[in-house]
Amino acid sequence: MGNLFGKKKQTRVTEQDKAILQLKQQRDKLRQYQKKINQQLEKERLLAKQLLKDGKKEKALLLLKKKRYQEQLLDKTENQISNLERMVQDLEFAQIEKKVIDGLKAGNDCLKKMHEVMSIEEVERIMDETQDAIEYQRQIDDMLAGSLSQEDEDAVLAELEAITQGDVELPDVPSDKLPEVPEATEDKPERERPRKKSEREMLAA
Amino acid sequence: MSFEWPWQYNFPPFFTLQPNVDTRQKQLAAWCSLALSYCRHHKLYTLDVMEAQESPMFNNKKIERKLSMEAIQVVFEELRKKGNLEWLDKNKSRCLVMWRRPEEWGKLIYQWVSKNGMVNSVFTLYELSNGDDTEGEEFHGLEEWMLLRSLQALQTDGKAEVITMDDGKGVKFF
Repeated sequence: MGNLFGKKKQTRVTEQDKAILQLKQQRDKLRQYQKKINQQLEKERLLAKQLLKDGKKEKALLLLKKKRYQEQLLDKTENQISNLERMVQDLEFAQIEKKVIDGLKAGNDCLKKMHEVMSIEEVERIMDETQDAIEYQRQIDDMLAGSLSQEDEDAVLAELEAITQGDVELPDVPSDKLPEVPEATEDKPERERPRKKSEREMLAA
Repeated sequence: MSFEWPWQYNFPPFFTLQPNVDTRQKQLAAWCSLALSYCRHHKLYTLDVMEAQESPMFNNKKIERKLSMEAIQVVFEELRKKGNLEWLDKNKSRCLVMWRRPEEWGKLIYQWVSKNGMVNSVFTLYELSNGDDTEGEEFHGLEEWMLLRSLQALQTDGKAEVITMDDGKGVKFF
């Protein structure tokens, strides 16, 4: 069943994946083999004990020799497993490295394409045009700012003149009528009120 | 941690199929959940009907009651309708029990894979169900057919791909 599905999307499983799988399968087999030997060792150890108890030293010795040999086998399989695992890791890492390189390549290509779009002459031209535009804008600004400042100056001059001319008349008018009278009337009740309040408080106390 | 039996388990009439339709419905539902949780507790994936009848699941020795073969068939048929059971043969003597649906198993496995940063890696089925790395995971010791089903469920989601090689199967997660 899995095969049917697998064929449809075969693209996603690469040759490397298959190689890794093969290595891992090999490792699994070795693991199973180890388990088997371990069990045998345990059995034989018990058997050897039994034989010693029964006084069959010769046989026990033979069994121990066999056991020793199997232990060596176990060591060998352990080595093989670590070999296989290292191989798997190397493969996996190589795949990662490949991806990194692919990524770098893609970035590089993209950069190249971008550079094609932005040639140096183009950039120079654009920068020149920008400079021109800035210059143009500044001229407009200057023109606008200049006319404004001219107006300002005129206004300032006019004001100055007005002040110096009306030096005698102007201050007299407000000081006599407007500012003093309303200020005085407004101030007094404000000052009186709090006093009244405090008096009331005093009384109440 | 021992298995917790439902109260009905010590109730003798529970072991006889009830004639009343409503009562029977409830009884069957209780048997179904008992069977599923029993299998879940003991991590059973394949059942032999004959053996099941003798196992504590359908045989309460304390009150000396056991479910009859016909009743077991009815219960199993009910489970099959719910999608938790599949017969392995025409005689209905052996069956697969799915106390967790393949999709759920797949989800669990995928969670483990992504948690360990092993997406995009290749695994052998043996490694997943019996490897040292999965020791202590719920799916450790999962039977191969169940594992394969859950991986196929993941495959339809595009999260995994089962690889078939000359000797044995593998899977790659995405």
